[in-house]
Amino acid sequence: MPLLVKARSFLRNLFFVRRVDADLDREVHSHLEMLIEERMRAGMAAPEARRAARIELGGVEQVKEQVRDSRTGAFLDSLLQDFRFAIRSLRRTAGLTAFVVITLALGIGMTSATFSMVDALIFRPYPVPHPSNVVSLAGTTHDSKIEDFSYREYLDIRDNTKSYDGVIAYADMQAVGFSTEPTATPRVKGGMMVSGNFFRVLGVEPRLGRGFRPDEDQVPGRDAVVVLGPDFWRHEFASDPGVVGKTIRLNGTSFTVIGVAPDEFPGLLVFGHPDLYMPLAMARLFSTDIGKNFFEDRDDRELNVKARLKAGTSLSEARNELAVLAKGFERDYANVTRSRGAAVYTQFQTRTIEDQNWKFGVVFVILALAVLLVACTNVAGLLLSRARERAREIAVRLALGAGRLRLIRLLLTESLMLATLGGLAGIAIGYGVIEWFHSKDTIIFATELPVAVPFQMDKRVLLLCVGLSVLSAFLCGLAPALQSTRVDLVNALKSADVEVPGRKRLWGRNMLVVAQVAMSLMLLTASFLMARGFQHDLMVGTGFTKDHLLITSFDPRLIQYNATQTQQFYKLLAERMRETPGVQSEALTQNIPLGTDDFDGLTFVPDGFTMPPDRANFASTMDTIDEGYFATTGIPILRGRAFLTTDTADAPRVAIVNAHFAKHYWPDGDAVGKHIHLDNSAGVPVEIVGVAETIKYQTMSDPMDFIYLPLAQRPVARMVLMLRSSGDPLQLLQPVKDAVRSLDPNLPLLHTQAYEEFYLNQAVRGPQIAIDLVGTMGAVGLFLAIAGLYGLVAYNVSRRTHEIGIRMALGAVSSDVLRLVMGKGVVLVGIGTGLGLVMGFALEQLMNSMLFNSGGVDVVAYLIVVPSLFLVAMLAAYVPARRACRIAPTQALRYD
Amino acid sequence: MSPEQTSLLQGTLDLLILKSLRAGEMHGLGISRRVEQITGGTFVVKPGSLFPALHRMEEEGWITAFWGESENNRRAKYYRLSKPGLKQLEAETKRWSRISLAIGQALEAS
Repeated sequence: MPLLVKARSFLRNLFFVRRVDADLDREVHSHLEMLIEERMRAGMAAPEARRAARIELGGVEQVKEQVRDSRTGAFLDSLLQDFRFAIRSLRRTAGLTAFVVITLALGIGMTSATFSMVDALIFRPYPVPHPSNVVSLAGTTHDSKIEDFSYREYLDIRDNTKSYDGVIAYADMQAVGFSTEPTATPRVKGGMMVSGNFFRVLGVEPRLGRGFRPDEDQVPGRDAVVVLGPDFWRHEFASDPGVVGKTIRLNGTSFTVIGVAPDEFPGLLVFGHPDLYMPLAMARLFSTDIGKNFFEDRDDRELNVKARLKAGTSLSEARNELAVLAKGFERDYANVTRSRGAAVYTQFQTRTIEDQNWKFGVVFVILALAVLLVACTNVAGLLLSRARERAREIAVRLALGAGRLRLIRLLLTESLMLATLGGLAGIAIGYGVIEWFHSKDTIIFATELPVAVPFQMDKRVLLLCVGLSVLSAFLCGLAPALQSTRVDLVNALKSADVEVPGRKRLWGRNMLVVAQVAMSLMLLTASFLMARGFQHDLMVGTGFTKDHLLITSFDPRLIQYNATQTQQFYKLLAERMRETPGVQSEALTQNIPLGTDDFDGLTFVPDGFTMPPDRANFASTMDTIDEGYFATTGIPILRGRAFLTTDTADAPRVAIVNAHFAKHYWPDGDAVGKHIHLDNSAGVPVEIVGVAETIKYQTMSDPMDFIYLPLAQRPVARMVLMLRSSGDPLQLLQPVKDAVRSLDPNLPLLHTQAYEEFYLNQAVRGPQIAIDLVGTMGAVGLFLAIAGLYGLVAYNVSRRTHEIGIRMALGAVSSDVLRLVMGKGVVLVGIGTGLGLVMGFALEQLMNSMLFNSGGVDVVAYLIVVPSLFLVAMLAAYVPARRACRIAPTQALRYD
Repeated sequence: MSPEQTSLLQGTLDLLILKSLRAGEMHGLGISRRVEQITGGTFVVKPGSLFPALHRMEEEGWITAFWGESENNRRAKYYRLSKPGLKQLEAETKRWSRISLAIGQALEAS
């Protein structure tokens, strides 16, 4: 029953406010009247009785307020009041409100957009049920913390571990030739080989048909079945529900469609969304290393392995189990598994080790947070100066019985509303920035595979926006609220100027100036550094010729060529191209420099090197090329020779290393003529016949070791044809197509374009996106900081108009006053600059260690940023000081 | 107010108001004077504490309020003990006796 009574009072209090209030008013007044009567009966005179009664009552309004506060729902009621009041007072100062909202929106929007990068790259869980217990199993070597496993190793792990409810494996997404008719030229789609238990263990239910049966992954080559990705099904089959059971052709072989993955499961990858899932048993059609037997060779490592951790099994137990297993591999298969360990990683660890790009995201977030902080100090400064204008209002409220807490809440409600508006606008800005990222899709990924920028405004990002809004409300609102409610009532009511004497209040405002200078300095330094870092990379040059080059890729496996046919095709293709008019030279290479695909790695032991006992070999990146490569790319051979047509499969094995490699292993001697042994010291000897200039290979960063092997001695299925043209490289397009058609009309040309165009997208326009982003943040930060700094300094000075008047009246001249005011500004900006330099320096170290590896201090950035900020601050102090000096002392003294 | 008058302990006020209303319906001032009287002037309830307490107890359902005529024909708001209020008074009385007994013993112990 009491609950019901309570609920009734709650509703009554909420909806019949007026009636309840009038009732209370009558009650308190009747109480007062009775008190007066009582006094008069006791013999007091009427005025005296009235006074005594009022003293006993303690104030009608105060009593009423106390009753209101004790009522059920008082909190909600007063909150509604606060909101109504806040809306009214914000509307009254619409201009200020708009500025504050835009300021906060910029900060929150920038932060949410950049956080969406980090979120997509690291935090977004796998799109499967219970994603947190999905862990990655990876091999480890001296050079890498995350290595793929071979098929044999995967089977051993799957069958000999007890920590998991299922262990799955999948290969990287790769180009697959897809067609519906045997006669049609295949088109390139993104396919992924997965283990038969892939969907079952991940808990993904196909939206149509079924996933793989366990027996479909048992016999190599037997079960040609395929599960379609949701987007692929939509685009290629127009969401046809009857697609299950149909036959499609992949790399020239017929596959039966057995199911379609659901929309909620775009795949396990961050960027790629596979079109097709094929069982591992079909690996002969898709495996990348044609020189190895996927099903037997333990060193044909192409598989990512993931597993579902059993409930109650700890990560360390799983790690120990896998480590023991890896030790067993090392013991039993020493020739292919020397010094390889294994590790179990959480999603977070996997993502942070796999791809280092998240570091850019983190730097962006730090910068965006700095923008937000600058915005918050701006808003705090504005609210603080507004609070002074409202001091008398607040004093009246306090005098009428409002509690200090209640007033602080009122003021915080106001800043919360500001922040909410800012947050909403910020989300809109965030959406805009993310859209902008998406519009750069084709620049960021120059590939025909189904990959996309994964940044989204999802649950976590929106949550962050809300959190940031609330946080910034407190950041900007609390200090002004605390300060403006701490007033001396008597003085406040008497005079308009309620500035509490003492340093405390001034100190807060000075802190804001210092924080602002420091933040914006850090921001500017960072954006300068970043822009200059990228610029520096571009200036250094790549070390090879980029113009007059046409590139196009081939993968004869798409039409089911075997290894011999493939190499025959490349041989003929090269011959045809050399005879084509307009072609100056021709080259075949496994990967182009600065391309999208990773170079292969090669393990070796150089002649005359004794390996330490715990290390079987060294590793280097490598490329497979034909004899035209150096002439076509213009990479100079420094010593020895390039590959020749005489370096055939039967001839002695040869290699060319880069200068970096040569200097690394033979710092004093000549690398030419030396040998390296493949895999280990007992491996096949390969003679180094030449040393090539070191160029930029994978990224624009540091030089690295590099080995070239001739195509004839290391056959590769997928190659890139590079053609040096005498004229416009695109004019060679038709001759190439004709030549390929005459060799095999079914073979598709992949990624055909002018190299220079590709390079511009990859190495220039991509980083330009980052530079734009950082530049925008720097500009926004600087704009906000200048506006805020000017406002704060100018306000501080204008507050002293009165004091300046006195000084002038006592005989100070304007230069004295200017010196006084400006001196203060210089000190504040100086402190801020010092702090900002420290923070900027720290950030620079961080950025250098993470991104650019250059290590040095960028003096130019500081030389530009520091003086410009100083200038702004000086100007901000000068203008109002000048004005104050010009006012006649009599006027200044009346100024409050 | 003399310094002798003890400030009300938290929770005692409710008990004293309920106890006063046990004697019959009363308006605010009546309750205030009654408390003073039954505690021998030790406790003085100021309107700033009395009215919030009354409204809170009304919302709890322990007392009910109605408008009536005062002894001097003035309209005044009267309060009356309800059934749950009576129960509350008994429970509070028991609790209080227990506490005062315990405190008394504690202070007498050497």
